[in-house]
Amino acid sequence: MKKQAKRRLIRTAAAGLSLLAAIPALALPTSADEPYDVYNYNYLGEAVPSQAGYLAERSVSGLDLGTDAFSTPSDLFKDENDLFYLVDSGNNRILVIDSEFTKIEKIYDSFKMPDGSETTLKNPKGVFVSPDTGYLYIADNENSRALVCTKEGEVVMEITKPESTVYDQQLTFLPQKILCDNAGNIYIVLNNTTKGAAMFDANGEFIGYYGANAVAATATVIANHFWNAIASEEEKRYRARSTPTAFDNFDLDTAKGFIYTSTSSGSTDTDIVKKVNPEGYNLFSYMSNFTWGDLFSTWYSGTSYKTKIVDIDIGSDGSINCLDATTGRVFQYDKEADLLFIMGATGDQVGAFTAGNVTAVETKGDGCENVYVLDSGKGTVTIFGQTVFGGIVHHATTLYNGGYYEEALDPWLEVLKRDGNYRRAYLGISSAYYNMGRYKDSMEYAKKADASARYNRAFERYRSEWLREHLTVILIIAAVLIAGIWGLRKFLRKKREKALATATNQKGGAAV
Amino acid sequence: MMDLTQPQWVKHVVFHPFEGFEDLRWKKGGTLKYTVIIIIALFFALIAYDRWCGFQFRPLPDAMFSVVPYIMRSVVYFLAWVLGNWAICTLLDGEGTMKNICIYSSYALIPYIVSTYVNVFLTHILVRDEQVFFSTVYYIGLIWSGLLLFNAIKAVHQYTFTKTVAAIILTLIAMLIILFLAVLFLSLFQKVYVFFYSLYTEILYRVRV
Repeated sequence: MKKQAKRRLIRTAAAGLSLLAAIPALALPTSADEPYDVYNYNYLGEAVPSQAGYLAERSVSGLDLGTDAFSTPSDLFKDENDLFYLVDSGNNRILVIDSEFTKIEKIYDSFKMPDGSETTLKNPKGVFVSPDTGYLYIADNENSRALVCTKEGEVVMEITKPESTVYDQQLTFLPQKILCDNAGNIYIVLNNTTKGAAMFDANGEFIGYYGANAVAATATVIANHFWNAIASEEEKRYRARSTPTAFDNFDLDTAKGFIYTSTSSGSTDTDIVKKVNPEGYNLFSYMSNFTWGDLFSTWYSGTSYKTKIVDIDIGSDGSINCLDATTGRVFQYDKEADLLFIMGATGDQVGAFTAGNVTAVETKGDGCENVYVLDSGKGTVTIFGQTVFGGIVHHATTLYNGGYYEEALDPWLEVLKRDGNYRRAYLGISSAYYNMGRYKDSMEYAKKADASARYNRAFERYRSEWLREHLTVILIIAAVLIAGIWGLRKFLRKKREKALATATNQKGGAAV
Repeated sequence: MMDLTQPQWVKHVVFHPFEGFEDLRWKKGGTLKYTVIIIIALFFALIAYDRWCGFQFRPLPDAMFSVVPYIMRSVVYFLAWVLGNWAICTLLDGEGTMKNICIYSSYALIPYIVSTYVNVFLTHILVRDEQVFFSTVYYIGLIWSGLLLFNAIKAVHQYTFTKTVAAIILTLIAMLIILFLAVLFLSLFQKVYVFFYSLYTEILYRVRV
């Protein structure tokens, strides 16, 4: 009896296990190449299985490139000639790698100062190459300086701690990231100020701070504001101050001149990603409720794992690529901040990264054909290649965002053939049909996308068109109806009068 | 005088907001059968408003539909109203019976229900810019029904104006208490159910082993 029961238990367990193994295969028919399930968010904010826009092709280590292994590499940059600059912080050097990521073109480990002496880097953290000046900009962290040098390795300028009164002299000067805008101004992210990036002009003069984050309007902040308003100067000095979190990485949109900043702080939800214009104004401030990265933080063993965007890259087509250190995922948005694709995971396979150790993301190609992720834990660069599906989506998105709705129709239809869950395709098709005057079709696709504002717009046109077409019929029916009612009322009144007349006559007759 | 059939009573009451319910009371008109029909119509009106209106006005995505809130907003709220009103007005010297409160209150809802159906129709031919027509119909229905409901309570209990206002406010409070108790009761019963269910599984397990 007992043996039988045991056997039954085993059988049930085995059946359960095989069922368990079958579930992911049934539920998520994704590519077998991925070490993770590809997903995207629908308009309700639910994660749904999706087609992969990018596949991890290979990962490249320092040894693969014929040099020492990378030691805690912290930044990756692609210049206008598609050469990659990799900051190998632990080895105090900067590597230049060719566009195919197969061989090393050059290694910068020492530079020639203007006075002829040699200088080396110490734990450099960031690099930037300006297409305008052609100079290298290096955030030389532990030397407390930033270097501007030619591609031959001759230092043109050395930026050290500014002696301005605006810069608090008690603070250290430890450059983390650096970039140079189209006007030649140099921006340096420091890790010890919340005022924004330190900004220097082309001659290395300190100008001020640029693009600070806003303070999140939490209840505490609002309460503080209220108490500060009624507190005396004496009291105010002892009150806690509301300071924003500091952004810790940025990228320049070379084509448009905007600087995009990213904030990895887990304690805030405001200004995670900013698009800052030269005046320092955040053009994404209208999206204050927008969640970058994963829409929900996950809780596990009492700890909350929240998206931590550590690097941002603007692709040639304007796409915004955000790298999340917590989950090792790259979130790719188009320039209107609509989510395109999610790729990456944590793990040991190609396409997966060590949690918390990814440091940089970079893209290549006019349609973002490749995405590069730098993992400082593994010391590798992982190269993602665009799938056919990803290519079509990018093509359609570029056309759509450029206002070429009708031209985007065919790519969007192609997208739908490959992934019927892809909502932006329905929106794109709806817009295309609207512009082509096919309002009925536009309404249908707007309905499928659950976009009632778009439906409203198409319906308005459809209705006026319908009215114009059927105006004669409507007028005739209305005229017939009005005449009919008028005739009926007249007829009824006559009948009633007649009846009344007979009644009074009868009454009168009886009285007489 | 005033020997009306049941459908005629409905028409009379709805179109005579100030005298209708007094007449209804005087002549002992109205039937519970109509109450049931009206509440069912209200239930479908609420559903129609969310599900069958034109897509340009649809507030709720398809995936988020559940029938429970609609039952709640029609049947449960109505029953709570009747129960609460009866409980309050028995204490406040009201003359209405439970049956009469049911009938009078439900007749008062007719303009609101009709305006909802009219609105459902209107949403198929209006665009968002013309929402003013839509809200006009809505507010006409709402105010009309409110007026009827007030006079219904006033007539069924033979109250003065001020006493009716007080009774309605107290009824709303009573409704809150009833609903609160109902929720409490439900969750309590759920706990009891879970307890007995786990007892059952435990016994089953023991029996098997």
